[in-house]
Amino acid sequence: MMAINRQAWEKPVSIAPLITFRIAFGLLMFVSTLRFWWRGWVDTVYVSPTFHFTYWGFEWVQPLGKPGMYLLFSIIALTALMIAAGFLYRVASVLFFICFTYVELIDVTTYLNHYYFISLVAFIMIWLPANRLYSLDVLIKPGRRRSLVPAWTIGLIRFQLGVVYFFAGLAKLNPDWLIDAQPMKTWLPAKSHLPIVGAFMYNEWVAYLFSWFGALYDLLIVFFLLNKRTRWWGYGFVLIFHLATSIFFPGIGLFPYVMIVSSLVFFSGSFHQRLLFFLTGKKVEAELSTPYAFTYKKALYAIMGGYVILQCFIPCRFLLYPDRLFWNEEGYRFSWRVMLMEKAGAAYFKIKDRAGKQFYEVNNAEFLTPLQEKMMSTQPDLILRYAHFLASTYAKRGVTQPRVYGEIYVTLNGAGSRLFIDSSVNLAAEPFSWKHYHWILPYKAAN
Amino acid sequence: MKRTILRSLAVLALTTGVFCNKSADGEGDGNDKGFDKTGMLTNYADQLIIPAYALLQEKVNNFQALANTFLETRNTANQQGLLEGYKQLHLQYTRVEAYNLGPAVVAGLEVYLNYNGGIDYNFATNGELVGFSIDSTTIENNISSGNYDLTQYVRNSFYAQGFAAINYLFFGPNAIQKFNSNTVSRVKYAKDVVNRIKTLVDKINIDWTAYRTEFVSNTKTNVGSPIGNMINGMAYDLDVLKGPRIGWPFGKQSNGIAFPAKVEAFFAGNAAALAQESMRNLKKIFTANGSGKGFADYLKSLNREDLANQLTAQFDLVITKLEALPDPLSTTITAQPAKVEEAYKEIQKLLTLIKTDLASATGVQITFMDNDGD
Repeated sequence: MMAINRQAWEKPVSIAPLITFRIAFGLLMFVSTLRFWWRGWVDTVYVSPTFHFTYWGFEWVQPLGKPGMYLLFSIIALTALMIAAGFLYRVASVLFFICFTYVELIDVTTYLNHYYFISLVAFIMIWLPANRLYSLDVLIKPGRRRSLVPAWTIGLIRFQLGVVYFFAGLAKLNPDWLIDAQPMKTWLPAKSHLPIVGAFMYNEWVAYLFSWFGALYDLLIVFFLLNKRTRWWGYGFVLIFHLATSIFFPGIGLFPYVMIVSSLVFFSGSFHQRLLFFLTGKKVEAELSTPYAFTYKKALYAIMGGYVILQCFIPCRFLLYPDRLFWNEEGYRFSWRVMLMEKAGAAYFKIKDRAGKQFYEVNNAEFLTPLQEKMMSTQPDLILRYAHFLASTYAKRGVTQPRVYGEIYVTLNGAGSRLFIDSSVNLAAEPFSWKHYHWILPYKAAN
Repeated sequence: MKRTILRSLAVLALTTGVFCNKSADGEGDGNDKGFDKTGMLTNYADQLIIPAYALLQEKVNNFQALANTFLETRNTANQQGLLEGYKQLHLQYTRVEAYNLGPAVVAGLEVYLNYNGGIDYNFATNGELVGFSIDSTTIENNISSGNYDLTQYVRNSFYAQGFAAINYLFFGPNAIQKFNSNTVSRVKYAKDVVNRIKTLVDKINIDWTAYRTEFVSNTKTNVGSPIGNMINGMAYDLDVLKGPRIGWPFGKQSNGIAFPAKVEAFFAGNAAALAQESMRNLKKIFTANGSGKGFADYLKSLNREDLANQLTAQFDLVITKLEALPDPLSTTITAQPAKVEEAYKEIQKLLTLIKTDLASATGVQITFMDNDGD
């Protein structure tokens, strides 16, 4: 086991891995923001929709209108560059974290694990002295230069990556994934257009190979990267795995690249020193031997300790809920469950007035974008959020105390579509809760 | 200790890989279950899509000739002949409407020819331009001012041309008498409307010649791919049927208040026939007319024969229920609500199967956005 003692985690180590990480993270975030902008998604996701699925407790996070959203994205792009350059680093990293997270909190239906990952890393980066070398900040104030930092600063980033991989691996240890090779068996035949490998996509063993390799990779890769002797092999697997993912599932976006670049943080200080020297032609000077020291160490340790505990608890919270996680998705988000299931739904809502005399069918397309409708149709908390919105909307349209009923059909991993929630429950009267929603129908294996 | 664990895990990983390869050598002479998607798309293009557009072109030409005859000699006999020609034309349109991709999208065929108002509208009040409305005000204004541009991409323009305008100009109340005043302008507008249809359909026929290669060679399933477009097109057709075609005029969105005047082809009065033909054609697409090269067969190759059969049976059920609705649909929706309700129920079931099971099984995506799971 890794012995966690104070000395080990405060041991001064080279700042170089932190520097590489800062520059790469900043640049990648800059590119990612431009890509989002260039594809027109600022408009389609945050400007044109009339309704947004806010996070419970974050209802106050609303889109800021067209100029506001573009301003927000400009700030994100700019601060990403500032982080890369190490210019006004603390201000930039705080601003980046706030703006990026604000955008992500506007609409649950845009949730991606890698956006969550970015928010977390941005939060960590606020506290780390990643601007103490190879940065504009130390060019302006050379006295702030440091070449050594406490080991935990780099360890924390490694921990975060470890959490992502390890929990992603644990999540794959389920019968659907391992025994039925689902959803790979469903997804791969749709990839028959790929050159060379395309011809194999109809073979079931390929789906099994992908599933098992994926699970083993996620579970083990961190240990390969941590161990000096297997590190290069491990990184080779990182490249193979993530490049393959981006070829097979281009819809996943920039996530593979984020992981490829982030995983470099597992390499040693001397590797990063050579890398930075190679890239900039400037050497980390040996005479800067006073290690970076944190001012409010105890408070910081408390924050980081709490953070680490939360990161380990959140992906496990699904254990507190009954029935099948893939079906009810209670405790599904924020848990590194990536490309884990094929789920699709069709949702039909009916509105009745209090007396049950008036009767309207809802046209989802009137309120939701195709993406929002797709996401809502399979996720109970979004269904509830939408039902409450419908109740208030139809109340404004003159229906007295509207009751909202959902007839929703969902298919999971190729099993035939079936009723998802109790159609006789008035969703308008159901509250948000951390507890299990009783109106979700239990998953029945047989059709 | 750590090293030993690592080593054993590495060995495990390797053996798993070898094991998988072995089993592949054992059972897999490779592609026995493979499916020829290019063959499927080629079949769709050559046997269904391109011939259907060619036939549409014929019907347009025929209709134009009949329209010219009527506009020269405006009597009930010629009007009756024209109505027959129009019904044939509109029926043929329902046999291409699901191919809302490539050339048809570029031309804007659906919105200019048979605008349904978009499926994102609320259908709660009369008088509004929603569903299959006819904008007689704009049509009359266009005729009297002579100042109109049918290529404009706005709702009013969509509602003042295509089948909506044809219904009003040729078969609306006192259609023949109305030509007696302001004759020259009215005849010109009618001819422009017909000619606009011909231009669109001619263009699509020409464009398909070039587009065919692109269509048959792209076997992806993402948004904008032919397979993605075909499946999403089927779902869309069901959405239109459930909404503007039947559900909304029936009063589903409006607390049971029906809007009979907003059924498709209101003055020609063959909305039920159109809905039936639309579904017959959709089934034909799904089964590729029994050629063995369609989505149904693709599902079978994916071991989803159950789903293929389920879908085929549901198509049949929907068609049967629609055939129980006599024309004019505008009368039927108020006279026989129970039958409409029955059909509506089955339509929703079919829509569900297409949107969930079929889209899932074929890996079709509905949005461009990044997605890391479902």
